[in-house]
Amino acid sequence: MAKSTQRGAALVRILVVLFVVALVAAACSSGESVDVDDDSTTTTAAAGGDETTTTAADGGDETTTTAAAGGDTGGGAVLIAAQGSEPDRLDPHLTSAFASFQVLENVYDTLVQPGADLSMEPALAESWEISDDNLTWTFKMREGVTWHNGRPFTAADVEYSFNRIMDPDFGAANAWRFGAVESVTAVDDMTLEIKVTQPTPNLLVSIGGFKGMAIVPQEIVDDGTIDTNPVGTGPFKFVSSSPDQGIVLERNENYWRADEGLPYLNGIQFTQIPDPTVKLTNLQTGAVDWVDTVPPQQLSALESDDSVVVMRVPGGDYHYFALNQTREPFDNPDVRRAIATAINREEIAEAAQFGAAVANQAAIPEGTFWYYDYAPYPTADAAAAQALLEGAGVTDLTIEFLVTSDFPETVTQAQVISAQLAEIGVTVEIKDVDFGTWLDLEGSGEFDAFMLSWIGNIDPDDFYYAQHHSDGGFNFQGYSNPDVDALLDEARVETDQDARKALYDEAAAMIIDDASYIYLYNPQNINAWSPRVSGYTVRGDNAVRFVETRLDG
Amino acid sequence: MADPTPTAPPPATHDAGEPIAEHRSRMRVTIDTVLRNRLAVIGLVVLALLVLAAIFGPTIAPYDINDINIADRLQGLSSSHWFGTDELGRDVFSRVLVGARVSLTVGFIAVGIAVVIGVPIGLVSGFYGGATDSWLMRLMDILFSLPAILLAIAILAVLGPGIVNAMIAIGIVYTPIFARITRGSVLTVKESVFVRAARSLGATDTRILRSHILPNVVAPIIVQTSLSLAFAILAEAALSFLGLGVQPPEPAWGRMLSEGRGFFQQAPWMAIFPGLAIVITVMAFNFVGDGLRDALDPQQRSVIESRGVG
Amino acid sequence: MTNYVLRRFGQMMLALLGVSVIVFALIHLVPGDPIRVALGTRFDPDTYAALSERAGLDRPIVVQYFAWLGSALTGDLGVSFRSGQPVTTLLLERLPATITLAFAALFVAIVVSIPLGIVSAIRSGSKLDYASTAASQVGVSVPDFWAGIMYILLFALALSWLPPSGYVSILDSPIDWLRHLALPAVTVGLISGSILFRFVRSAVLEALHQDYTRTARAKGLSEREVITRHVLPNAWIPIITVVGLQLGFLLSGVIVVEVIFAWPGLGRLALLSVQDRDFTVLQGAVLLIAAMFLVINLIVDVLYAYVDPRVRY
Repeated sequence: MAKSTQRGAALVRILVVLFVVALVAAACSSGESVDVDDDSTTTTAAAGGDETTTTAADGGDETTTTAAAGGDTGGGAVLIAAQGSEPDRLDPHLTSAFASFQVLENVYDTLVQPGADLSMEPALAESWEISDDNLTWTFKMREGVTWHNGRPFTAADVEYSFNRIMDPDFGAANAWRFGAVESVTAVDDMTLEIKVTQPTPNLLVSIGGFKGMAIVPQEIVDDGTIDTNPVGTGPFKFVSSSPDQGIVLERNENYWRADEGLPYLNGIQFTQIPDPTVKLTNLQTGAVDWVDTVPPQQLSALESDDSVVVMRVPGGDYHYFALNQTREPFDNPDVRRAIATAINREEIAEAAQFGAAVANQAAIPEGTFWYYDYAPYPTADAAAAQALLEGAGVTDLTIEFLVTSDFPETVTQAQVISAQLAEIGVTVEIKDVDFGTWLDLEGSGEFDAFMLSWIGNIDPDDFYYAQHHSDGGFNFQGYSNPDVDALLDEARVETDQDARKALYDEAAAMIIDDASYIYLYNPQNINAWSPRVSGYTVRGDNAVRFVETRLDG
Repeated sequence: MADPTPTAPPPATHDAGEPIAEHRSRMRVTIDTVLRNRLAVIGLVVLALLVLAAIFGPTIAPYDINDINIADRLQGLSSSHWFGTDELGRDVFSRVLVGARVSLTVGFIAVGIAVVIGVPIGLVSGFYGGATDSWLMRLMDILFSLPAILLAIAILAVLGPGIVNAMIAIGIVYTPIFARITRGSVLTVKESVFVRAARSLGATDTRILRSHILPNVVAPIIVQTSLSLAFAILAEAALSFLGLGVQPPEPAWGRMLSEGRGFFQQAPWMAIFPGLAIVITVMAFNFVGDGLRDALDPQQRSVIESRGVG
Repeated sequence: MTNYVLRRFGQMMLALLGVSVIVFALIHLVPGDPIRVALGTRFDPDTYAALSERAGLDRPIVVQYFAWLGSALTGDLGVSFRSGQPVTTLLLERLPATITLAFAALFVAIVVSIPLGIVSAIRSGSKLDYASTAASQVGVSVPDFWAGIMYILLFALALSWLPPSGYVSILDSPIDWLRHLALPAVTVGLISGSILFRFVRSAVLEALHQDYTRTARAKGLSEREVITRHVLPNAWIPIITVVGLQLGFLLSGVIVVEVIFAWPGLGRLALLSVQDRDFTVLQGAVLLIAAMFLVINLIVDVLYAYVDPRVRY
């Protein structure tokens, strides 16, 4: 016993020493940023890293130091932006993560881009012409644009980028947007020619609606660094990415709007905070300067809180659910109409979004050119709904809604709908799975109804074609209406704006009448930021642009 | 969450020498000791109430758990809503009450699964030793070293969400603990005098296992069961928190906590009451477990008896 | 002794192999795959096929496993489907945060539980004993995710004493490292400490009632000498076992806390990789976590055997 007592004591001493050593060792190895090969970024990584770390550590206080160090323009500092989800890869042609796009919006440019009112305006292309037969588009490139690595931008870069997207072996997430494009050719350094197979009135939106069609330089694809070290033409340059600091960007001194003094910020630090309550707390305590979303139930409290600026605008996203038309009895349009008649969209929107949404029986929101005021369904008309069900010979209906906690509004919506449908004797069961499983079940058709949202679009074709055309790539609910197909096909090539709208209106009416999707509401786009932030606005397409933003000390 | 109660230090072998005839009076002594322990009694009372809530909850609850009423949402405590209402206007008290069913069911069945699988493994492993022991314990080690939450998430993703699969997932995660504890006890008892005596008298393996080993490993298993029940409830809460496990609108305390945290500044009662329910339930199981351990572990029992107080 | 160590080490490597097999099998049973998740709702059969083939996901599972194993043995854990980065880089980036949190939490747990546990055992039945025991009961019963959010709302939002979330490296700013570490370490440490407390107390109690203690007292030693020279050294052994196991669990089990505190650790990476079905990252992360757990178990077992030769079977 005595010997083991001694050993026990010695043991303790050894362990204490080991423990302290381990703790010190762990603490002293910082999360190293990913190694960056590019010379310019390596040097700035060191400087940029330090600056941003101090700023992060001390909340907002250090902005004065960094402003002094870097800014010749007033309002220069490093903005700390908190995202609620993690970016994945940084290759704009491959990524589909919303968080990635929030970052890439400030690093890359597209050929044309949506303006403040969401109409397409020049970006890397200064102007363009369409041939008389509507089959050739000629773009003139902007002069004096340089890549972040110093090389001058030319039309060849656009040719390369678009061909990369269109390459069937490449697997770009947005290849389908170039469906009508036959060829992309750089005629000379400053001129690009795009030939289409049929008149394509929405070409500009398709090739520049968001950064999924960004123009990238070939050299970073060839050396394999595009995923981890983006090089673009945008207002901010990529510096580093690490788990503890997030993604760090710094000002592009040679930005093509530098003559306007843009961008004002010295840099941006995108940090990821998954829990919405904790994220908001970070904003309220000043630890971050900007957040990408706010829990809607906090809106009224925040709007009267002077320490936070909240802005919301109507958005183009829409929430919906779809019944499986390959399964009985949902193949019967009357059954679907009954469901669409029995629900109360305002109540659902109120429950899920606390008033930060507009109920809508269609997809396209009010306030845009393409909006079609069509609301054939009554609100929560139980009698009419039951009549429709009886007419279809359906009693004792049970619907299993496929939702996912990764999109928590779907869970709330399903519960409210469950109570609403109980009024007409329909039972709702809820199946809440993680998103990966949700996608799998949706893709394989194993559902009664699935519930989700689509991110907003600018062009009506994006609202309808892929989801409701018989050949549509995302038509998981199994809808097929030849009349709708014809209308959508015709609208794709109609160059007269008003005629085009008439076609989409007609198609929309059929889609809504057939209840291919049962639309619920358009949520507002909401961002919030510190009062020290100016020059930022929430956009209808939810793009996060910091090019004109200032952060005051 | 993982159950961090480790393999308890092997129980003392003093009592292991008692022949089987005294078993019944030992049980009576155990019960008496437990009942003298005030905390354990409190725990038992609370558990009894919870079981009643679980069984009769839906019948006695003042509101239906799915009684959605948007106009009435986020209301504070009142005479018509003792615990207030949630973000959909549902009565929090009713949902907490019915939530007892989920928590207790998952806890008992999950731990039941772990016992039914883990104890025989531990028995066989400890008794027969050798290669069987080695391989079985290797398997248990592997399961043990996998992060519990990830394992549960993966199992649920494979099996699909739902209360039954949550029970299976948690049960699998806890199996190694029971295997290890059983094996540890078996090892200690195996070499004791009376077992060797029985063997030299020609008793078969089965007889030895049944009559000598099993009764003596029961004690640590019982203790571990009540402690694991406590952790199983926390595990279910964590899974519900992540949106897995029980499906809405069935109330589960963990899911209610998860939903409540986003509303904490407007409606703290949404999270406070389910949280309290979890804490009280887990504490009750722990009190009972401690009481059982004090009663069944002779060392502790003599300490208690010498103090003359529970 | 060396034999024992070598044998246990070999068993550990076998266990790790088993872990890799089980994780691989399990994640492939889960519906969905990384390409599907990456494409999201914009699923296109042709794009999916092209990307799957490029990633080698269309090969039979067994082939994929052995391919993975082969390169893993050379130190190449593959590339993340989701981000394109090498898995090894991702793991090493996040390891410091996890280890820091685990050790800091353990530190809190030990500092809280050992002194209290010893004193409570010595003065068993006193008010301090009851108060500590009650506190530890509560500490064990509160869900960690719940406690974490409450601390954030209290200490960061209401009182503004500490930052709400995030991680700062000690090299950048020791003070901020500590400030950011405080809440998560306390959240996990108090729970861990509550568990430890009960074991410390019972281990010391047990030692107090052993024959050798009575003998020491009978010999006329002062109470203090009895405790420091006889009771405590014998109580250390079971305590060390529990501490070791706790460390193992801390390294693997704080996923939810990492999510809440936006702590860039392995747990959060592993959770993300399950959600994204990022097979390679999940394999790597679980393997690393399991390895750390098994190594600590090994160390504890070896120390236990060193101290108590009876245990070496």
